[in-house]
Amino acid sequence: MKGTKKRNELLEALEGETARWVAEGIIEPAQRERILLRYSSLMEAQERGGPGQLVTTISIMGSVLVGVGIVLFVASNWSLIPKGLKLAIVLFAMLASYGAGYYLRYERGNYPKVGASLILLGALIFGAGMFLVAQIYHISAHYPNGPLLWGLVILPLAYLLRLQALMALAIVDLLIWLALEAHWHLPPHGLFSYLALTPLFLTAGVVLWGLGLMHREYPPLRGIGGPYVAIGCLVTLATGFILTFDPLRLAPRFGVVYSFCLGATVLFIPSVVARLLLKERQRWSGAECLGLFLIVVVVLMSYRRGYYPPLRENSKLIFNLLFALEIVGVVALGYVRRYAVYVNLGLLFFGLFLLARYFDLFWDLLPRSFFFIVGGLLLLLGGIFLERHRRRILSKLALQEARE
Amino acid sequence: MRVKFVLAVSLQLLVLLGIIAYRAHWVATGHRVVLRTTPVDPRDVFRGDYVDLRYEISFLKPAQLGTKERFARGDRVYVGLELAEDGTCRASSLSKTRPAEGRFIQGRVVDTVDSSRCEILLREDSGLLRTLLVSSACPGLKKGSRTTLCTREDGTVLHYTTPERPVGRECARGKQLVGIIEDLKVQGGQSLHVDYGIESYFVEEGKGRAIESSRNARDLRVEVSLREDGKGIITALRMGERELK
Repeated sequence: MKGTKKRNELLEALEGETARWVAEGIIEPAQRERILLRYSSLMEAQERGGPGQLVTTISIMGSVLVGVGIVLFVASNWSLIPKGLKLAIVLFAMLASYGAGYYLRYERGNYPKVGASLILLGALIFGAGMFLVAQIYHISAHYPNGPLLWGLVILPLAYLLRLQALMALAIVDLLIWLALEAHWHLPPHGLFSYLALTPLFLTAGVVLWGLGLMHREYPPLRGIGGPYVAIGCLVTLATGFILTFDPLRLAPRFGVVYSFCLGATVLFIPSVVARLLLKERQRWSGAECLGLFLIVVVVLMSYRRGYYPPLRENSKLIFNLLFALEIVGVVALGYVRRYAVYVNLGLLFFGLFLLARYFDLFWDLLPRSFFFIVGGLLLLLGGIFLERHRRRILSKLALQEARE
Repeated sequence: MRVKFVLAVSLQLLVLLGIIAYRAHWVATGHRVVLRTTPVDPRDVFRGDYVDLRYEISFLKPAQLGTKERFARGDRVYVGLELAEDGTCRASSLSKTRPAEGRFIQGRVVDTVDSSRCEILLREDSGLLRTLLVSSACPGLKKGSRTTLCTREDGTVLHYTTPERPVGRECARGKQLVGIIEDLKVQGGQSLHVDYGIESYFVEEGKGRAIESSRNARDLRVEVSLREDGKGIITALRMGERELK
């Protein structure tokens, strides 16, 4: 309330000041309108992202700490607490957390963010409960089933309540399952076997991205698409960045990786079809789907030995070009669609990409002292440039949004 | 909304209670056996310690258990158990098919090491007899089959064709021989690492290392409850007469 009052006072002062500028001929009336619009939308955005976001962040951190505390309490008093009591503590904590969260967010409605965090805490305690049961009965068989079950069981609750933090937890659980399950099936091949997971995770990132876009375009699912898009975009760009170092030349070839990728692609295709069936599609959505699909095809073809030799021989160049195109595409889409997350992630990976290639090119060419000085200066100046550019794009997006 | 929320939370509660009920029923109704074990590399994990356990039946040699079956990583296996004088169980048989009777435990092959060697007596088309060595159990070859082999000068075989795969790779680095197998002897054999799902025992924080370094660690025994299909679940860990928690 205090923030809104302050904003109104500032805007009133600005209105008076700009009216005088117009009277004195310093600016045109149209310019005055644009200035007022700019400040109004920026202040509104600041207000929205200020204390509310802080409450959410603090509440989520609090939930995680309480969850960890409960688990550690049980672990530290393992032999003192009877088996039944251990389970009762966890079940009670889970139900109490869910109940309190629902009451605060939906029944009373006066603490929606704290309520959402308590529901997230309930989901965390549910996961801890599963691992506690595994401990009590000394279950070690096929441990990837743990995160799989956790993710799948909290998914209905995430869809029902449209809670982004809960959806993000479910997606992270399922990604952990994917890593553990795939690694379980890989033959023992030393540390390099982990590199074989890169094409798999790139496919998973693209699938999440595709699913997220489908969610965003269907009005009933719009509120829950954010975590899919953000995590999908992050995983795709992160694996794309790793591929620019050409790790696949060292990775052993495992047929099982294709089986997992095929399974993931089965999820991607319906999401594309669902988007194409929509009458009102977002701009460039066809090109985006095609681009994502091509990335997966090129990476999987490069992973397969001897499938298309020119792709293998020039894989480093191809992966670098592909990644550069990914970044350009993501930032352009972010601008066209007004997705701040695209712009932020695109520019972050652009900076990392430049830094990595600087190391590649100049590590052997320059004297070490000169290398670090120039590198440091580039980082500082590049950071300032990118941050200014990022802010400019985001403020343009906010302005466009305010105009509409 | 409230009803749906209650249903979604009930689903989670049902999953947890279902796992507990299923495991408790398994413990209560399973057939109890005792296995001798040794602790390996206990690690501190987030939720406390666990002792990583290995059993005598974790490492098996099929040939010593009287089976000629070949095993691959991921195969489900059934290990027959016989009671020893000290009350613990030892492996008596090994098979990929479930035994019709007797006590057995179900496991999965997690690694195989093949130390098989095969000696071939080859009659070349010219009538010359040669003794050749293959560093495997000669899969696909049998007495009387015709084959093309790529060999080194010392008589070891680099690769060969079989009736199922009659076209082989090019023999660029060796000498190509064609003939009929007169005799074939397989020596050595496979060694298997089998997991039974009873390899972790969770203990209170800080106790894992104490168990591992204990003087009586060699006298460690695990009590396992076996389901009808041979799957096991740990019910107790004993050091001598004392039960560890």
